[in-house]
This record gives sequence, C-alpha cells and structure tokens, in this order.
Amino acid sequence: MVSRPPGGALEDVLEGVVAFENLTVLGIETSCDETAAAVVRGGRDMVSSVVATQVERHAPYGGVVPEIASRAHVELVTEVIARSLVEAGVELSAIDAIAACHGPGLAGALLVGVSAAKALALVTGRPYVGVNHHEGHMYAALLDDPTLEPPFVTLVASGGHTLLVAMRGHGRYETLGQTVDDAAGEAFDKVARFLGLGYPGGPAIDALAARGDAEAVAFPRPMLDDGYDFSFSGLKTAVVTYCRRHPDLAVADVAASFQAAVVDVLVTKLIRAARAAELDTIVIGGGVAANSGLRARVAADGAAAGLRVVVPSMGLCTDNAAMIAACACYRLAADGPTPLDSGVRPGLRI
Amino acid sequence: MLLLAIDTSTRRVGVAFGSQVGVLASLELGGAAVDGPPRHAEQLAPAIEHLLQIADLSLRQLTAIAVAIGPGMFTGLRVGVTTAKVMAQALRIPVIPIPSLDLVAYPLRHTTGRVLLPALDARRNELYYARYRAVPGGLQRASEYELATPSDLLGEIEAAGESVVVAGDGALRFREVFEAHELCEVAGPSFAAPSLPALVELGASRFEREDFAAPGDVVPMYLRRSDAEIAHDRRPA
Ligand SMILES: [Zn+2]
Repeated sequence: MVSRPPGGALEDVLEGVVAFENLTVLGIETSCDETAAAVVRGGRDMVSSVVATQVERHAPYGGVVPEIASRAHVELVTEVIARSLVEAGVELSAIDAIAACHGPGLAGALLVGVSAAKALALVTGRPYVGVNHHEGHMYAALLDDPTLEPPFVTLVASGGHTLLVAMRGHGRYETLGQTVDDAAGEAFDKVARFLGLGYPGGPAIDALAARGDAEAVAFPRPMLDDGYDFSFSGLKTAVVTYCRRHPDLAVADVAASFQAAVVDVLVTKLIRAARAAELDTIVIGGGVAANSGLRARVAADGAAAGLRVVVPSMGLCTDNAAMIAACACYRLAADGPTPLDSGVRPGLRI
Repeated sequence: MLLLAIDTSTRRVGVAFGSQVGVLASLELGGAAVDGPPRHAEQLAPAIEHLLQIADLSLRQLTAIAVAIGPGMFTGLRVGVTTAKVMAQALRIPVIPIPSLDLVAYPLRHTTGRVLLPALDARRNELYYARYRAVPGGLQRASEYELATPSDLLGEIEAAGESVVVAGDGALRFREVFEAHELCEVAGPSFAAPSLPALVELGASRFEREDFAAPGDVVPMYLRRSDAEIAHDRRPA
C-alpha cells in the first residue's frame, strides 16, 4: 500500500500534476557532522542515500567542533549531491523538489545545506522545502517499513536530543517528553570520554558492553517512574563516582551496566507512553537507536507488551538525507514549498 | 559570455550579472547601514532570483560563476561559496574564485604612488588585509593575505614608511585609529565592500584566460583556524 498524504495539492506547487507516488525529492542534510544527500520517491522509496561522515576530522577534539563541521560541509557538499544523483540514476531535471534540513542543528552547518538546496531550486525552478531534523528522524522508519503509517509513538534519541513524540498523523505531533539536561547520546559520549574510549562514544560503549556484565553495577535509572521526561547527567556522574571508588573495575562491566541503565529508561518510558497514548506501534530513531542494546531490548519488550515495533536499519537511524527527503515529500504535499527567503533555524522544535 | 558574480564576504550581499564589457545588472543588500545580524542565508537566493527576473535572464545562459572567496565573514562566505559551487555544478559551468581583498583594492588601482591596503573586518579586534601597488594595466599584490590587529598593522605601515590608502569595512571600523596616523588615508564607505564591477571584470578576464576551478574544488579563504584547532595545537605534548 502506498499512502497518500492528506490534502495533497501537488499540481499547485509543481509544473504539471505529479502523483504523490512519483514525487521525486532530493534531500540534503548538514545539521551536524554528516554531509548527506539522497533521492526519495513518493516519500517511501529510497532511491539513493549518500553520507560523507566527518568523524575523523572531529575525533582528535573528542566531539563535534562546529567550525570544523561547517568547513567540511562546504568542501563535501557538491560531491555528495553529485553521488546521490548518480547512484539514483536520475538527472537533476527529473527532481521535483529540493529539500534541506533547516534546523535544529549547528547554525554554520545548517546554512550550507540550506544554501545548496536553494541553489538547486533556482537552477531547476523546482520548489525548496525546509525540513525539521527531528521530524526527519521520525520519517526514517517509514522508509524502512512500507506498511508503517501513523499513528505511533516514536523515540528520537541522539547526541543532541532525546524526544518522545506521539505522531498522530503526517505533520501532527504531540511531544510527550524530552530530556531536561543531557541528551542520551551526549551521556554515551561523556562516559566514553571518561572511560578513555575515544569519540564517538556510542559505538565504543556498545562494542565494549557486548563483552561486559550488564548487572555488575546497579547504576541509577533517573526519573524512571516519573513522567516522560529524561535526565542523564546524574547517571553520568554516578558512573564517574563509581569508577573513582572502584579503580580496579572491569571497564566492560561499567560500559555494559551504564548502557543497560540508559536503555532501561528509554524503553520503559517509550512503552509506557504508547500505553498512555493508546497507540499500538512504537518506533525508534536517531543515532542512539543504532545501539545494539537498545535495538534488542525495544524489540523484546515491545513484543512482550503486545506492541508492533519498528526498528529502522542502522543507516536510517544515524543522520542521513533520505529521512529529510522522505519527510519533505509529505511536507510539500501538505504545506507547499518553503519560501526562498527563509533562513536556518538552529533552535527549531517539533 | 555571461557571468554571475556573488559576493557575501562582508555584511553586504552583492549579486551581479555581466561580461567582459561590464555589469549588466546588479543588486546590493545589507551592509553597515543595516542593524542586526547579517542575513546572507535569507537574502542571497531571492536576490539572484529577483535580478534574473528584472534583467530578463535565465541561469541556463550563464558561462561561469565568479565568487568572492574571502577572507571575510565566515557565515557569509559559506553561503556565497556554497551557492556558487552547487549552482555551477548543476549548470556544468566553472567557478572563478577571487580573493575578496583583490576586489576591495581594484577600484583604487588608479591611485599611484601610494600603497593600497584593503582591510576587511575579521572581528575579535582583527583585520584581514593585503598590500597592493598600482602597475600599468592593473594591480600587483605585494604581500600575502594577512590577519592582524589594527595596532600591529599600523606598526607595519610605520616600519615601511610609505603612504597608504586603507579601504574596506575593516578600515572604516577602525577609522579613527588609521586617520590619526600621518601615513594613512582612509577610503570612504563606497569602498567598504568588495566591488561587484571588479568581480565581473576580473572574473571575465580570468575566464578568458581559462583561469578557473572545478566547482567541487572551491572553498572559502578563511585565514584563521577554528578555536578548537588552535587550542589543540597549544596543548603541551
Ligand atoms: Zn539527528
């Protein structure tokens, strides 16, 4: 089944009538440290997806350096766009609209993708669509599972954000909870740095945790029974305190126990939120959704709770442009183009 | 030949179309007269679109895109350079990258007997600058592209002992500092930003000499590394 968005008036914004199923969008994502471009058709069909990671450029600094990210985007953006078209096997003239993530994210980084998309919009005469990065993450699952339709409850967890959202329909969101301090991915990075595991911290902890005992240390589960908001800075402090008191600890056990605490909080709240919202489908997204512990636990607990669980492939969880292009198909159909005089929105919310 | 010229290296957004015989249409927005944060990301694409309309041109007619690559305001440069390289790649035409300081100096090329010293605002109490001399047929750059505080630059001017004309938004920002010195004359606000006619003229002549770049290779000239890189290198080994 191919979905049709509500109230689609594509003939108004495009030259001639384009059926939603055929709507071909080139998406660009430059909000943080990945330079990405992708082609998506009909909001569901990922025709190509190219991601140039900058991880090596930021690794010496133990985290993303905004100025380095912004410079790298300018360097990489043309090649990434060209590759996305080549891999899709389409000419630029076959693109119906050009989308870019316009926020939230690093201001200097966002304006590279937005400027690139507007430049292509001017050359092709096609509409420009600015896309919310969080909204993009929610649409990643729709690319992975062609039968998935809202409503569902989605957890978007990354280095920048931890969000629990009920997606009631296309473009209809109800934010149920978010982090009150550190994002989940930020906690992974900080604990990894403390344990001397380097950057990025998520994959490092994930790999180490696989060899450790998740029950070795009973780290706190912050705000576990308290609403749908998250707090991870206390957990990070608990890890640091524990390690100082137990200098002979097995690092793998600490990594496994820390990861288990984060995953426990994320999955417990996600499932509780689905029950409270009376929705039977749960979805995860964002860089932290690439964590193997979280993926396994959400699948197991979700199934045990009788819920349908959608866990997108790893490449669709971490930042990519296919999710931006997919979301743009629905946004364009429902709301029309974004004006060319709109800028970047670093603090954009859902 | 039809060139699109883009300059976003100061607070001003400048766009022009032209050829070897001069400017066909141009548009300038923002600059020192406008308060608040610069709006390159908002204004550049509409400026190009508007100019295309009133000049009755199409991007498909372009032969090349000339872009001022800095040094200058980082966010502005990223908007201008990204727009130029992505457009050029899509149109399959070359980019002509031109240093912004060359474009501040160029309109002063008939000032003989004095050193020409374009200085663009680098913030943090610093200036981007370079030294030029008028020579028959144009300008000759007599230094690297540099970054320094106004007082260091004044020290350099004093040591050289030659009269200079200081121009650009950096010169205007520190007008009193320069004007207080007998060797310096400060050029007025019409020389604050890189010259669009100069970008068209220099761009056209470089295009004719086939002195241009593949779009993917064009990056801004920053002259300053990120704070994180500087701090990282200062760490004890
Ligand atoms: Zn993200």
